[in-house]
Amino acid sequence: MTAKVKIRQRQDGTFEVERFTPLRRIEHLMVILTFVILVLTGFPQKFYDTSWAAWALNMCGGLDSARLIHRVSGLIFSFHLFAHLAGIAIGTLAHKLTLSLLPTTRDIRDVFATLGYYLGKRSTAPAYPKFDYRQKFEYIGIVLGGLVMVFTGLMLLYPGIVAAILPGQFIAAAKVAHTNEAMLAFLVLLIWHVYGSHFSPEVFPMDKTIFTGYITKEELKHRHTLEFARLFPEESLD
Amino acid sequence: MTNLILILILNIALAYGGGGQSEEAGGCLDCHGQKGESLRFQDGSRKEVFVNPEEWAQSVHGGILTCTDCHRDISDVPHGPKKIPDARDYTLQQSNTCQRCHYAYFTRMLDGIHYEVLKSGVREAPTCVDCHGSHNIKSPKTLRAALNGRCGSCHNQVFETYKKSVHGKLFMAGNNEDVPVCTDCHGAHAIENPNKSKFHLNSYQICAKCHADEDKMKRYGLNPNVLTTYLEDFHGASTKVYAAEARDPKRPIATCTDCHGIHDIVSFKGGIARQNILKACQRCHAQVPAAFTDSWLSHYRPSLDKYPAVWVVKWAYRILIPLIILGLVLHILLHLWRLGTRR
Repeated sequence: MTAKVKIRQRQDGTFEVERFTPLRRIEHLMVILTFVILVLTGFPQKFYDTSWAAWALNMCGGLDSARLIHRVSGLIFSFHLFAHLAGIAIGTLAHKLTLSLLPTTRDIRDVFATLGYYLGKRSTAPAYPKFDYRQKFEYIGIVLGGLVMVFTGLMLLYPGIVAAILPGQFIAAAKVAHTNEAMLAFLVLLIWHVYGSHFSPEVFPMDKTIFTGYITKEELKHRHTLEFARLFPEESLD
Repeated sequence: MTNLILILILNIALAYGGGGQSEEAGGCLDCHGQKGESLRFQDGSRKEVFVNPEEWAQSVHGGILTCTDCHRDISDVPHGPKKIPDARDYTLQQSNTCQRCHYAYFTRMLDGIHYEVLKSGVREAPTCVDCHGSHNIKSPKTLRAALNGRCGSCHNQVFETYKKSVHGKLFMAGNNEDVPVCTDCHGAHAIENPNKSKFHLNSYQICAKCHADEDKMKRYGLNPNVLTTYLEDFHGASTKVYAAEARDPKRPIATCTDCHGIHDIVSFKGGIARQNILKACQRCHAQVPAAFTDSWLSHYRPSLDKYPAVWVVKWAYRILIPLIILGLVLHILLHLWRLGTRR
């Protein structure tokens, strides 16, 4: 059932476990690239009345080019998202993939247990699976938020086609959703992701796992205890 | 010093005393104040050189300027012969004289479309005296009603259209100070070419001068939020950015006039707008269905009974975003608190 996990030895003698396949690492780089471009070309349109927006639009070569860049990178993001979801669907059907990022009831229990630990009601944090609820929240957030962005973005790109199927006010609603969902995604990234992957004392200054693809056994044992126990059942007894 | 003061007193006496001035003008008016004399131009045409003394005295310059202040080239009586091709040529030559006192207005006029047309060789394009008059100049501030007529004497088609518009009707009914006359939108001296895309892009600001004025709009029961609602929409935001940019947009974008018309603006109260809007949309968005028009909220703010879908989305995010962000920040702070104080 369990796919074989890759383990490699570092120069200092410690062992690392593969956590992200090369494909997932590339996907993360893709998301960084498209997200940054979309924010840089989208937010100046949202805050078009500010002086920094005028500057940013001018750097893009004007509003028309900024929109072209925004639309092209939006379409790339859309294709990426659908390819990603299709890959998961096929992988799941072929039993080659476990949905380790899908929220479960355990995650809800983990939320309360973690908050209890933070508030001093528990002496230890709960043992987390391969991905803890904080990471799942972010992943599900970007997938669902991404879907909202893709669909509302397409509605704004082809309003004439939308009007043939839906009431016209849905186009105006799509604009409100697109601009607000972008703000939400940006804030979550800025606050949650930057904290979780950079400023949290557990990973400061940076959690490099998504770039290298590997996590040390030590870290895995500490931060994803259940996953460690699943991969190394005999070592987790002590 | 005594000389200087003497000159000053003399000047004041000339300007306000009346006696000296009228004597000077009177010298010219001895001949020019009577009908009958005329000037023959090189092309054989003639023009009467009569100046109505009463009109001149009542004009804005009467009592301030003397004849030779403008007609500087004339110093001898009787005047020596001159070679002037025709009357229009003389008018165009003379227009430079206004520049000596009205330098700022004259310079702005040089930036205007009328001067551009004149420069291109169209001698009929108006210069100072064609709008203001010459010997009968009145203060332009007192002449709102006459102003429209002045423009209309050449732009008669536009003037006729304007008279039938919502602005024109109110104006013709009694010189209503609230409604615009030609110059309120086009300016007077540095008149822009209204066919240029920059004029089209900036035109919303012209409309906003009155239509964003809450007091003025209340008087007529009009929506004072037309500007803000336009700018909140995709078209308004784009227009504002395009207008500020140095380059022209690739495609024109809808401003006020594209739905409301220009000189033929009519009142949109009572549902006429919705009938016309589809045609306006289709000028850029070819063959879109009628439902498309509802993507534009007609200057309304979304509400539960009008455009509920927009209202629901707007409020969902207004609640969702602060809640989520607050939750995440609290979670982070609790984490740090635990690590910092209760390790």
